Amino acid sequence: MQSSGGAGAAWRGRARVAAALAALCLALFGLACDSAAEVPTLEQREQRLNRAIMCPVCPGESIDQSRNPLSAQMRGVVRDRLEQGWSEEQITAYFVDSYGPSVIMEPPASGFSLLAWVGPPVALALALAALVVALRAMRRRTPEPEARLTDEESEEYFARVEDALRRN
Amino acid sequence: MIEAGQIALPIALLTAVYAAAASFAAAWRRIPELSVSGRYAFYAVPPLLVVSSIALVYAFATSDFSIRYVAENSNLAMPRAYTWVAFYAGNAGSLLFLAGVFAVIATVAVLSIRRKLPYTAPYATGIMALVLAFFLAIIVFFANPLERLPLTPPDGQGINPLLVHFGMFIHPPMQMTGLIVVAIPFSIAMGALLARRGGRDEWVDLGRTWAMISWLILTSGLLLGSWWAYTILGWGGYWAWDPVENSALLPWLALTAFVHSIMVQKRRGMFRTWNMVLIIVAFTLAQMGMFINRGGPVPSVHSFAQSTMGWLFLAFMAGTLILSLAAFVWRMDSLRSREGLDSLLSRESAFLAQNVLFLVVAFVTLWGTIFPVFSEAAQDVTLTVGAPFFNRINGPLLLAIVFLMGVGPLLPWRRATPRNLLRTLRYPLIAAAVAGVLLFAVGVRQIPALVALATCALVVTGIAHEWARGVRARHGRGENYALAFGRLLSGNRPRYGGYVVHLAIIMLAVGATASSFYSAQRDVAMSPGDTAALGEYSFTYLGVTTVEFPDRTEQTAEFDVYEGDEYLGRMYPFRAVYPEFRIASTRGAIRSTPVEDFYLVPSEFNDDGSAIFRVLINPMVWWMWASGPVLAAGVLLAISPRRQPSPSTLRLPANVRAAGA
Repeated sequence: MQSSGGAGAAWRGRARVAAALAALCLALFGLACDSAAEVPTLEQREQRLNRAIMCPVCPGESIDQSRNPLSAQMRGVVRDRLEQGWSEEQITAYFVDSYGPSVIMEPPASGFSLLAWVGPPVALALALAALVVALRAMRRRTPEPEARLTDEESEEYFARVEDALRRN
Repeated sequence: MIEAGQIALPIALLTAVYAAAASFAAAWRRIPELSVSGRYAFYAVPPLLVVSSIALVYAFATSDFSIRYVAENSNLAMPRAYTWVAFYAGNAGSLLFLAGVFAVIATVAVLSIRRKLPYTAPYATGIMALVLAFFLAIIVFFANPLERLPLTPPDGQGINPLLVHFGMFIHPPMQMTGLIVVAIPFSIAMGALLARRGGRDEWVDLGRTWAMISWLILTSGLLLGSWWAYTILGWGGYWAWDPVENSALLPWLALTAFVHSIMVQKRRGMFRTWNMVLIIVAFTLAQMGMFINRGGPVPSVHSFAQSTMGWLFLAFMAGTLILSLAAFVWRMDSLRSREGLDSLLSRESAFLAQNVLFLVVAFVTLWGTIFPVFSEAAQDVTLTVGAPFFNRINGPLLLAIVFLMGVGPLLPWRRATPRNLLRTLRYPLIAAAVAGVLLFAVGVRQIPALVALATCALVVTGIAHEWARGVRARHGRGENYALAFGRLLSGNRPRYGGYVVHLAIIMLAVGATASSFYSAQRDVAMSPGDTAALGEYSFTYLGVTTVEFPDRTEQTAEFDVYEGDEYLGRMYPFRAVYPEFRIASTRGAIRSTPVEDFYLVPSEFNDDGSAIFRVLINPMVWWMWASGPVLAAGVLLAISPRRQPSPSTLRLPANVRAAGA
């Protein structure tokens, strides 16, 4: 394996292994991600709604998730309305009318609740601004001129040192 | 037996208070003898708590319903093994569990600090003793698990049936332990700060080790909790952004930031103030986790240990926060770092950017968790901030973190140039692009999933390239590949252990991405004899067996499951109804492979045996649970000590005595 030809062959071998591994992963994904299309679209819409509507008596759980009888009944309502041709917005509005705004898993993007949606991006912007300010403040005025080794070079260097130590 | 346990509790409290007082006085006045005394007092607490714990276990084992806690959390019909679960299933018992576990682990920590950090040790011991004293005070004055009832009831009330599951043996103890153990790195950091040793980085190694240990325990708790939800709660998901889940995630996020940025202090002597801030935040959030779990303001499915003593936890949290911030401001001058940043493009700044992103995710999670409380107060409207909100906002932020996970480790310390960055990133970038195109070709068409998976490919390639390079360099010097790989990993353990953990996180990310975007689900009404299909799978409902128990009715359905023409075997979705609790507990039947899980779960059975079954195909969830052991191995590698040159040359002269020696 010391000759350059041997190393080249080893490389090609490894490239083949890598390619085979990559192909395996892709096959895995191909297999894994193909079943969702099998569910009829009406049912997909139903599930989307079920996941967006909260079970009123089991805090924090959607009616899709909750095993409570009331949730089962509400899932039935969702299905019936969809079959009658209601739009998703109409169905959500219907549930808000009956149970109040907390029946929707997301806060509405209006009025006071808009704050819920505005808070995170504002926080992100402030945090990134603070990051830049902090990094600039920490930066040295006069950078050291010395040359630094990259990881690759230092690894090589330390390997040589270790080698030399072992020989002694 | 019971009496011994009852007496041991107040004695443990007094001992912990003494340990705190003696340690602080010793540190303050520099009296080494007193600090020894404080430490020994600390060592005395675990045995005392063991006595109380044995008393409680004994009370459960003998069904001694004269003990209020036993009467409230067990009954005669309960399987005996679950008396162990009952130990921490209620408020008082879980507090005793927390105090006991913390006392034991903190004792190990005190033993390890004592030698290595003689100046810091008395303060750190004092802080840990204070935390312990707080829990013991609650137990003794407010929630004594060994308290007797005036009258002995003939039978107990039993345990919440949702808790009767194998996962209950490990998830809650792990989670509680994880939350409380954060106090140890906090105490070490604060101890160093108070001892004015924060500017010397001697505390960093131990602080990092204990932070990694807490991180591992917290992560395991979260993973086990997800696994439990997935197998028992029977809705086919594993994470619902429930307030209590969130409150356990918060300290995890802060601690993850800390275990990274502490490396910058270890290697470069920078970020000293920042690391103090992070560990204070982490400990505060851990306490908030305990607060929200016990009588917090937000309703949750986790309200098992609910109590009215939330305010005590809140007060303790506020107290520690104020005191630690005061100490921080008071001793801040000792944290100055002479090191500066050489370049905005460096591993240091990548670490800081990662920290910032983690804190933003923590903020978003906290914001969403408590926003309903704001809304209630401000406009008197009850709102729900649920999973869709968190997925939409935290999803992209977490993706950005995964991206940094790929780029950060490839950046050199101090300074990178765009040119050498691009050079080290060339393979990962190519891999990401190729993966993206190929995934699109094989049918992954949802853009967020595509971007996430391509980013995962980038990270994995970066790590693989790094490893291949190291192995190649060693192999060139005559080591065979296996040996070269082993030596590479053990040569720089923090770094390669970190890579292993990163790989585990990628497994988690891939599983989460695939199953969130590509799971298929149907609710199918079936009578015995019916056959239905989902995707490649077809399944025949054979019938249901009903068994009556004194406290419950168990119903087990039988299915023959085929994938295409291949017979996969029989599956048994299960449901138990507990009439006394008006609770049904379901257990999905899961056939798990690395490709996908086929998941069957029943809802209520009608008298003729017909029922609605939920059927799911969850892609790649297997990888999420498989990431656990990988992650643990990585953490253990990262903290495993190297043989170091003997420190004998560093001994103090004989006439100088270190405090705490």
